[in-house]
Amino acid sequence: MPREANAVDFWRGFALITIFINHIPGISFERFTHRNVSISDSAELFVFLAGWGLALMVARFEAQGQRIEALKRMASRALSLYAAHLMIISLAIAMLAAAATAYDNPLLLEWHNAATVFNDPIRAHIGLVTLTYQLGYFDILPLYVVLTAAAPLIVALAWVDRRLLLAASIGIYVLALVTRYSLPSWPVEGQWFFNPLAWQLIFVLGYLVARDEGLGAFARRHWSVLQVVAWPIVIASAVMMVFDLKPDPTRLPEPKLLFADVKSFQTPVRLIQFLSLVVVVSSVHGAIFVRLPTVFAVLAKLGRHSLPVFCVGSILSLASQIARFVYKGSFALDCAILIVGVSMLMLTAWLAEWPRSAKRMDAASRSSVR
Amino acid sequence: MKWIDAGAAALFFVLAGVQPVLSGAATTEPPSPPPPPLSQDCQTPGVNISGVVTLPNVQRALKDTRVIKIMTIGASSSAFKRNSGDGYYQVIEGVLEKTIPGVDIQIIDRGVSGELARDAGDRLKSEVALTNPNLVLWQVGSADALAQVRLEEFEATLDETVDWLKGHGVDVVLVGVQYVRSLATDPLYQAIRTAIVRVADRHQVLRIGRYEAMQVIEQGRQVRTGEAFNQFAATEQGHTCLSEYVVRAITSGIFVRPIRPR
Repeated sequence: MPREANAVDFWRGFALITIFINHIPGISFERFTHRNVSISDSAELFVFLAGWGLALMVARFEAQGQRIEALKRMASRALSLYAAHLMIISLAIAMLAAAATAYDNPLLLEWHNAATVFNDPIRAHIGLVTLTYQLGYFDILPLYVVLTAAAPLIVALAWVDRRLLLAASIGIYVLALVTRYSLPSWPVEGQWFFNPLAWQLIFVLGYLVARDEGLGAFARRHWSVLQVVAWPIVIASAVMMVFDLKPDPTRLPEPKLLFADVKSFQTPVRLIQFLSLVVVVSSVHGAIFVRLPTVFAVLAKLGRHSLPVFCVGSILSLASQIARFVYKGSFALDCAILIVGVSMLMLTAWLAEWPRSAKRMDAASRSSVR
Repeated sequence: MKWIDAGAAALFFVLAGVQPVLSGAATTEPPSPPPPPLSQDCQTPGVNISGVVTLPNVQRALKDTRVIKIMTIGASSSAFKRNSGDGYYQVIEGVLEKTIPGVDIQIIDRGVSGELARDAGDRLKSEVALTNPNLVLWQVGSADALAQVRLEEFEATLDETVDWLKGHGVDVVLVGVQYVRSLATDPLYQAIRTAIVRVADRHQVLRIGRYEAMQVIEQGRQVRTGEAFNQFAATEQGHTCLSEYVVRAITSGIFVRPIRPR
C-alpha cells in the first residue's frame, strides 16, 4: 500500500514539476517558478530531500535492527539510479540524433553536448558510463548517483558519530570552495556542473536535519529562533532577485567562492538562503495541506515515485525543447506542453503505484471470496 | 581560386602584420609575429571573418606577465581533431603558444552546453571574478535561437554583459552562430545572427563571423567538387576552421593597433 501523503513527498513532487519547467529554457512558465524570487532553486530542494529521504529509510531499518540491510538497500538504490541515468541519457541522445537527422540540423546534436557521441564515440562511451561525460540538463542525476553511492559511507560515519559526519562534510565543502576543485568532465573539456564535493553538504544536511536527534533535534528545539532569522533572509533574497540587486562578484573578498553565488559549488549564499527557505516554507505547508488537499495529494504522489517521474520529466523536457524549436515557441504551445507534461508525470506516478494497487485489490477480492 | 586565397592571405598579412611592425619600429617594441596561415579548407576569399579590433587587456597582460588567460563560455564545444584527439580549446592554446613566442596561454573552459545567453551572462560575472581572465571567448546565440528566446531579450543580455566585461577590464571575442542550411531562412536564427553583429559593432569587440565563413567554404566546395552538401560534415569542418579563425582574430587583436593620425 502506498504510504500516506507527507510533506517530504509533497515538496519532492513540487521540485519535480519545477525541474520539468526549468529544464525547458525559454518556456513562458519558467518566470513563475520560485527561482525567480529565490537564490536557490529546485536542484537544492531535490538534493536536500534526497538526504532527508535517506534518513527516513535508514530510520526504518534501524528500528528493526537491520543496519546491514539498510546498507544493502542504499547500494541497490545507487545501482537503480545509475541504470536510470544510462537509460535516459541513451534516450536523450537518440532523440537529439533523430531530430537532427529529420530536420537536417546538426545544431540539435551540439545543443546539449550530444555531438561528442558521434564525433568521438570511443571516448564518449567511456565518459558516459563513468559519468564524466554529461549532457546539458541531464547533469543532476550523475550528482545524485554519486551521492547515493556515497550514502553507505555517510550513514556509517553517522553511526560512528554524527558530529564527525558533519565536520567531515563541512571540511570537504570548504576545501572544495577554497581550492575551487571540481570533478573534471571528459572527453569534453570542462567540469561537472554540479560539483559533488560541494553539493554533498546539502545532502548530508538533509540527512542530519531529518533525524530526531542531533542537528535535527537542535533545529526543532530552536524553531522559533530559526524563523526569526530565516524570514528576513528569504525576503531580502527575493528583493535582490526581483530588482537584480546582486553584488558585483569582482568586488567580493577572497576566497570569493565563500561569498559569491555560484550554483556549481553550492556556495554558502545559496546554501544559507535555501535553508532559510526550508524553515519559512515548513511553516506554511500545513496550510497547503488543509486548504488544497488535492494539490497536496497529487504532488505527494509524484514525490513518492520520484525516480520514474524524474526520468519521464527529463525526457519530456527535452521533447518539449525540440517541439518548441520545431513549432516555433508560442504561448499556446507552452500551455500545451505544460498540460501534457504534468499529465504525463501524473500518469507515470499512477502507473508506478498501479501494480501495488492492483495487488491490493486482488488480495481483497480473494479474501472476500473466501 | 588559389590566387584569390593567396590575395586574401596577403591582404590579411598587410593588415595584421606590416602595420604593427611599422608602428613597432617607432616604439622599439619587438616585431609582431605573422598570424598563422589558414589551412586550405578554411580559407574564405572575400569574406572578413573577424575584422581587426585591438585587445588592450590582452596586450597589457602579454607585455606585463607573458601570461594570457582566456575564459571560454557559452555553448560547450564538443569538436575534436580526430587524428590527435585534441579538443578545440587545446588546439587554440597550442597554436597561440606557437605563434606568440614565450607566451603562456591558459584556457579556462567554463562552457555549459545548452546554456542561454541570459544564464551564461549571469554566470560569467562570477567566473570572471574567480578566474580573472584577460579575454572572454563567448560562443553565443545558438542555444537562444533553438530555445526561441525573444530577440530583444537576447540582444539586451548580450549588450549588458559585453558592457560589463569591458567595464571590468576584460576583452571579449564573440563567436557567432554557425551556418546551418536548414536555418538559412529561419527568421529568429538570422535575427540573432545579426544581433550579434550589431552588439559587436556597438561595443567595438571582435566577432568571429563563423556563419559567413562556413557559408562561403561550403559554396566553394560545392562548386569545386560538385559533391552534395553534407550538413554534418560541414559542421565538423566548421569547428576545425573555427579554431584557426579564433587564433587569427586573437593574434590580430594583440598585434594590430589602430592607425594614429600623424
